[in-house]
Amino acid sequence: MADAQRKVLRVAFRAAETGFDPQRIFDRYSVGICENIYETLVSYDYLARPVKLVPLAAEAVPEPEEGGTRYTFRIKPGIYYSDDPVFHGHRRELVAADVEYAIKRFRDPKLRSPYEWLFEHNILGLDELAERAKKEGKFDYDTKIPGIEVRGKYVVSFKLKEPNFNFLYFMAMPNVVPVAREVIEAYDADTMAHPVGTGPYVLKEWVRRSKIVLERNPNYRGFELETRYADMADEWDRRAVEALAGKRLPLIDRIEIYPIEDEQPRFLAFLNHEHDILDELPFQFINQVMPNGKLAPQLAAQGVRVFPELQPEITYDVFNMDAKTNDGAENPVGGYTPERVALRRAMVLAHDRNQEIYIVRKGQAIAAQSPVPPGVVGYDPDFRSNAQDPDPPRAKALLDMFGYVDRDGDGWRDTPDGRALTVHYKYNLGGQEQRELAELWVKCLAEVGIRAEAVAVQFADLINDKRVGKFQLAGSAWIADYPDAQNFLQLLYGPNTEQSNEARFKLPEYDRLYEKSLTVPDGEERNRLYREMTRLVFAYAPWRLGVTRRFNHLQYPWVKAYKKHPILYTNYKWLDIDVAAQQAAMK
Amino acid sequence: MTAYVIRRIWQMIPTILGVILLIFILFNWVGGDPAQVLAGKISNPDQIANIRKQLGVDQPYWYQLWVFVKQVFTFDFGRSWSTNELVSHIILTRVGPTLTVMLPCLAITSTLAVLFAVMVAYVRGTVTDRGIMIVCTVAMSVSFLVYIIVFQWLFGFVLGWFPVQGWSESFWKNLTYYAPLPIMLAVFVGLAPELRLYRSFFLDEINQDYVRTARAKGVPEKKVMLKHVMRNALIPILTNLAILLPGIFVGSFLLEVFFSIPGLGREVVTAVNRSDFPVIKAVTVYLAIITMIINLLVDVLYKLVDPRVSFK
Repeated sequence: MADAQRKVLRVAFRAAETGFDPQRIFDRYSVGICENIYETLVSYDYLARPVKLVPLAAEAVPEPEEGGTRYTFRIKPGIYYSDDPVFHGHRRELVAADVEYAIKRFRDPKLRSPYEWLFEHNILGLDELAERAKKEGKFDYDTKIPGIEVRGKYVVSFKLKEPNFNFLYFMAMPNVVPVAREVIEAYDADTMAHPVGTGPYVLKEWVRRSKIVLERNPNYRGFELETRYADMADEWDRRAVEALAGKRLPLIDRIEIYPIEDEQPRFLAFLNHEHDILDELPFQFINQVMPNGKLAPQLAAQGVRVFPELQPEITYDVFNMDAKTNDGAENPVGGYTPERVALRRAMVLAHDRNQEIYIVRKGQAIAAQSPVPPGVVGYDPDFRSNAQDPDPPRAKALLDMFGYVDRDGDGWRDTPDGRALTVHYKYNLGGQEQRELAELWVKCLAEVGIRAEAVAVQFADLINDKRVGKFQLAGSAWIADYPDAQNFLQLLYGPNTEQSNEARFKLPEYDRLYEKSLTVPDGEERNRLYREMTRLVFAYAPWRLGVTRRFNHLQYPWVKAYKKHPILYTNYKWLDIDVAAQQAAMK
Repeated sequence: MTAYVIRRIWQMIPTILGVILLIFILFNWVGGDPAQVLAGKISNPDQIANIRKQLGVDQPYWYQLWVFVKQVFTFDFGRSWSTNELVSHIILTRVGPTLTVMLPCLAITSTLAVLFAVMVAYVRGTVTDRGIMIVCTVAMSVSFLVYIIVFQWLFGFVLGWFPVQGWSESFWKNLTYYAPLPIMLAVFVGLAPELRLYRSFFLDEINQDYVRTARAKGVPEKKVMLKHVMRNALIPILTNLAILLPGIFVGSFLLEVFFSIPGLGREVVTAVNRSDFPVIKAVTVYLAIITMIINLLVDVLYKLVDPRVSFK
């Protein structure tokens, strides 16, 4: 095909990638590349909202068996890896043993996989195998375990220790992809640079942290857009269906990706037609691009489209619930006694979330109403509570009622037993936004008479301090790994302390409800349990709920069939390009 | 001279050991635990301990220090903790783009600064001299970041004279297409302070007795400036260049980030953010060695510029 007719998509990433070994990476940019090179057994429909699982490398989405403890996948025959010298000129078919090998890789200590937790305490026999590897210094991939049964060439069945109705979501994560063992062993130390998958694209060129080029995988079987779940009343769905009707995908021949860390060059490169898509318009340019919420006339005249997206994420501030911090210091905000609960609730009421939304986040966020954000299964759009709405008079009344008054006349409230009260808010030294949020906390607490100090620490130290409980109050955020409320509610599950439960929240009632929710499939019963858990969060206030951010994704009109997926980071394999219009704009 | 050079090289060893010790202490005191950064979103203490074991940061400090010393003397810093790329490959591939921008920048800035400094020193005290000094002071008062933002927007986007950002695999395309705007920016920002500094060097020499004597003997002013003043002023200028020269090997982080140049400056800052100690160690040690070698070369050059200098 002549170069002039090739469909080339040019995009920028907001941060540099790290590599493309799917079991070794966790940054969303590297994972986004892997989405195009590898294939999961099941994935998400492009257009369905709320998201819906569909088969990808598997023939069908399996039904849970044995009360949610067994999942059996049948791989489609005739799926081939992209060519690689390791295959010595032969076509290499995807088989069930590749899935078994990939899952075991997550637990290989040498790999130090950031997603090891996905397959911890669930697949029968895998924990024991991983323990043995730690002791012996080598992971034995050849040992069979009862939790992974490979039945013939194409069938793999997983047996879990406990029911897990989110296991299929685990299997849809772009890291959980089969890999060919001989490829991994051949490239050994440099697997990050040699991705070989069955997906629609192959890595053609890689200048680390500067340029990533993907080109069509000639061995890829192709597919057609699934329109079953399209909502034709939605303009994005309608345009996608019209643009892709009857076409064999993928349509883009080459994808050029440029990591650009700074916001201005990324923005200007888009305006200059150097890039076709601008994912996540930087907040600082929101007033230039969308003054008063409407697309600027000069961009509208060029046919630029804006896809607004509420990401399945929340920001929140974490109270350390332990009575003492990890370094032995008294923690004035920790504990479950009525006055400590009252203090936290008063602090939550004192915080002006509207200032956070309209000043710090330039209006590009909505207030979180529960720990579960929109766009995930278990989110309840009707759930509202005033427990987290800004209300300084209520905060003051609550503090007065529980004895947090100024006893020494210095203008600041003291604890009920007469000691000086100072709350420390820890934040990341390197972030402008984090500094603004810290300043807002100090200001809001001062307004109700609580003395607070913002303490800036290095990013690595902040992660560590939050993990081990060496803090009083700190900011945090969570984006969905998979679209179920459980992924968010596990952040407050007691046994997850020192892992993801940064608040160190240990409430037996909450833990009981959480454990019960794991054994119940999606439905009204599980939603009721989620609501109960959310009420406990409001009552004990281990978090101040922040916001769910709104991102705006810009595209030029020559990009066809665009729709941002809430869980998948990229959508390249569904896009089309009007080459003539693209080239005319570049002249 | 040979004995002098050998002596100086010998003296570098304790300096390198001092640098190693300093980097090691700084990393372990303020660097943060790399295992926390690499662990991902959810990890338990066992996994953190496993990562620390894999990285070797669970070993006693003396052993880690010994490994570091061995790495320095074998030039093998292993692989990046975050990307698994060979550290030697990182340095070799990133130093090229950095030098493509920084070398022309240093050459142009220094040449222009010396030329303009001679010129303003020649017309010292006049309106031209004062005007140029005011412009320099104003130019120095504006942040580098502001220059980058304005230049990129004006020359890259509004006027379209240069690309907004980017880098290619071709050296010539980089040098002639992508690098000119960052080079122009760096020259613009670097010129003012250097011009002021070099002007003061020239003025110091102009007021010396030997200059007055030359003029009294009727030597033409241009010859006084270019032959006598220039040659003597070159010694402090060389010293200043020796200070600036190692910096071109690590580049400008801001320029590299704003113009998407895959250079070493950007790499170092990313490595610091990711607590990627092998990369930080290698770049710091390599920069220290370059600085020492450049200082040695400049000391040798002094002899060529000024015959009064002797190697004792």
